[in-house]
Amino acid sequence: MYRQKYIFLLPGLLVLVAVILFPLIFTIRVSFSSWDVYNPGLNYAGGAMYARLWEDSRYWEALWRLSLLSLSTVLIQYVLGFALALLVWRDIAARRFLRVLFLVPMMATPVVMSVIWRTIFHESLGPLNPILEALGIGAQPWLSQAAHAFAAVMIVEIWQWTPFMFLLLLAGLLSLPSEPFLAARIDGAGPVRTFLSVTFPMMGAISVGAILIRAIEASKIMETVYVLTSGGPGTATETVSYYIYIRGMRDFQIGYAAALSLTYLVIMAVALTLIAKALIRLMVRESRA
Amino acid sequence: MRTLYLALKYLAVTLWSGFVIFPFLWMLTTSFKTANGVTGGATWLPWLQYQPSLGGWQSLFGGAGGVNIVKPYLNSLVVTLSGSAIALILGTLAAYGLSRFSFRAGPIRNGDITFFFISQRIMPPIVLAIPFFLMLRWLGLLDSLPGLILIYVALLMPIAVWVMVDFFNTIPRGLDEMAWMDGCPPVTTFLRVILPNVMPGLVVAGMFCLIFGWNDFFFAFTLTFTKTQLLPVSIVALNSSVTPWWALSAAAIVSVAPLAVLAFVVERFLSRGGLAGTVR
Amino acid sequence: MLVLRDLSLTEGGVPHLAGVSVEAEPGRMTTLLGRTGAGKTTLLRAVAGLVQPQSGQISLAGADWSRLPPWRRPVAMVTQQFINYPHLSVLDNVAFPLIRRGEPREAAREAAAAMLGRVGLAQMTGRRPAALSGGQQQRVAIARALVKRAPVLLLDEPFVNLDYKLREGLREELAELLQSQSGTVALYATTDPREALQMGDCTVLIAEGRVLQAGPPCAVFGAPATLAAARVVNDPPINLLAAEITQSGLVLDHLGPQSAGATGRALPPGRYTLGLRAEDIRSGGPLPARVALTEVSGSETVTHLVAGALPLVMLERAVTDHRLGSELGLMLDLGKALVFGADGALIPKGASHG
Repeated sequence: MYRQKYIFLLPGLLVLVAVILFPLIFTIRVSFSSWDVYNPGLNYAGGAMYARLWEDSRYWEALWRLSLLSLSTVLIQYVLGFALALLVWRDIAARRFLRVLFLVPMMATPVVMSVIWRTIFHESLGPLNPILEALGIGAQPWLSQAAHAFAAVMIVEIWQWTPFMFLLLLAGLLSLPSEPFLAARIDGAGPVRTFLSVTFPMMGAISVGAILIRAIEASKIMETVYVLTSGGPGTATETVSYYIYIRGMRDFQIGYAAALSLTYLVIMAVALTLIAKALIRLMVRESRA
Repeated sequence: MRTLYLALKYLAVTLWSGFVIFPFLWMLTTSFKTANGVTGGATWLPWLQYQPSLGGWQSLFGGAGGVNIVKPYLNSLVVTLSGSAIALILGTLAAYGLSRFSFRAGPIRNGDITFFFISQRIMPPIVLAIPFFLMLRWLGLLDSLPGLILIYVALLMPIAVWVMVDFFNTIPRGLDEMAWMDGCPPVTTFLRVILPNVMPGLVVAGMFCLIFGWNDFFFAFTLTFTKTQLLPVSIVALNSSVTPWWALSAAAIVSVAPLAVLAFVVERFLSRGGLAGTVR
Repeated sequence: MLVLRDLSLTEGGVPHLAGVSVEAEPGRMTTLLGRTGAGKTTLLRAVAGLVQPQSGQISLAGADWSRLPPWRRPVAMVTQQFINYPHLSVLDNVAFPLIRRGEPREAAREAAAAMLGRVGLAQMTGRRPAALSGGQQQRVAIARALVKRAPVLLLDEPFVNLDYKLREGLREELAELLQSQSGTVALYATTDPREALQMGDCTVLIAEGRVLQAGPPCAVFGAPATLAAARVVNDPPINLLAAEITQSGLVLDHLGPQSAGATGRALPPGRYTLGLRAEDIRSGGPLPARVALTEVSGSETVTHLVAGALPLVMLERAVTDHRLGSELGLMLDLGKALVFGADGALIPKGASHG
């Protein structure tokens, strides 16, 4: 009814459309070309890039690795984050200080921390191995062996992003009404029972939201891999983003990289939607609140 | 039983706290080391295990073998602050429009437009990197501050929209109408009546914008080279086998410190119930 | 004079207003009386400019308002929910419209303080609205609406969310305050017939988006034009008795033949509906009825009874305790009944027939 309303929406929308939508459409077009260092420019190559993608086992392995990495880290982050949130929710000394402390890692620039972690994981000069030796576990070939490198990436991700999960879950806990807990206390329920019957079900919707948000962010992982392992050793920690980066930015095969990106985007959108639906069915049904 | 439970609690807290502090502590001591403190193996305690020096810190300002992060630091400040500010302004305006008015473009309605804004965050950076690169090259804005700010505005705006739409929806429309009847056209209503009532939202949105802006590496990395460098990029560039760890650590501390302060702000907000509702 | 001509508004297939025409004069309180959902709020919002009618015209003193957005219309509105600016103090809340109009800040604040004094909130000027009670918040809203002396004042059930005593007190205050603003057109929407009777200089009955009747309260209450109007205007609800006038006289459908001159009028044979107000039924009469429900309200008692198969409502201006299920004898004062013809229209007393 009022023409003034466009003043509000249009500036932001136009910027977004210009900066993101058009380039995206352009990328779709590029994916149907074979633009690379040798033939720069927008030619037409039909579905050649997509055909190549289909055969590219390295791509699909990277996809598999990414799924493994993100799902496991998100799950661990959820469990740890929830535990931490419960710990500093109430009844503990220095509660606010602990909350601040637990929040700090997610504020720290991830890339920069990855650089530091690289020095920590250094097999001969880093501080981690000496500690492990002192504990009797023995030094580990952190960055030179596949499984260990994978674990190293996971450790960094968990250190960096559990606070994020922690934040969302703590905010959720703090917003819960207190009556059910009083009722549980009156009924004589102990901490474990209270958690299973009251806390966890009430956090159903919030848990789903937190997991999804974190899953979306986790699927984009690239910086940690780039700095810590460069996808290595070999391709042991190569995720999809990193592989696309190699093909696109390093090898400058822009047409192919475009195809890779778009396929990745579609797969991710579908996967996340399915995960979202499954999670909602699984967890929100539990909550009776 | 109760004491066991309590002991477990404090043990868990201590373990995790240790895990959190570990890299920071390492960063701190390493920044004061010289070659002696590093090459022999990991050392922790100054004066006892190694000789502390300010070399790492001094090298931050340039000089022979130095890493000079002053310029990148300032660049990061400029880009993060201006990008966040503009994103916040545009995003808040759009969020208000989406919350209050109904838009229609054929079958596309408000909910779809909001989804369009928010879905930008799902985009993996890599998908956008190539088009951004080509676009900035076409505009002649590669490797420049304005170019980067433009990109950041587009990336951070969805955050502002996501946060602010929820906050605006909690304000009853009756308030807008009351302002209209008191003689305020929509823009005045927005500025003088609605905005003062969503200040917490602006704080939250602003915070998230600052965090994601300051911490971005990928886009700064792909879209800048030599003329303009942002802090995270310059630090990663140091990550070669030649660069001394002490310079690296000092640079890292300087980079991480500003946002660590934000953790205080976030916690205060959290404890006052400010974030309830951000997780839908 | 505010003229609303033939306003129609349909939303989602539901007609909220269907050809509403109202004329409201300045210096008088025009009440819009109707049930919830009748269209009163929609009508007020249309006058304010918050909703656009699909057809019809709104004009004040001849000036057409159709093109004007709300911020250009000289209206003030007080709504059911207490709406005040949460971020401003009470004083600034009331001064807000004046400052927006361009008045200097100091003068605006003085005028606001004066108005707040008149509504009895002189002590509260520094507080935020959230710190005030419901009644106080509504008074702030009223003060803000009055301080700008808008030509049109719209009140949408302003006291419905307040307690009984407060309601009465504020009604009186409002009437007093309006005395001093003789150029203002005041529209007051309510669902309470007694409130309309008390407050209004002119009552407009609205049902289902249509105007049923408009006129001075006594006329509207004393002679509702149709059955629908009679229903709206009476609380407790009016007893509607289907009847037939035959050669031998009046026969009430469920209650049988009545005495010859019961209605006190001569009517041609045919079907009629008699409207008997609750206060025109008394206990201590010949008609047997059983008590279904008794409600005591203030110093009155409303009793729901069933006579045979016919439900009746009785109002006594005393506090009595009729036991549930007990039997009472009722007397129906049919002489006071309103008579409606088969078409539902009122047949006025003294009208000639035949």
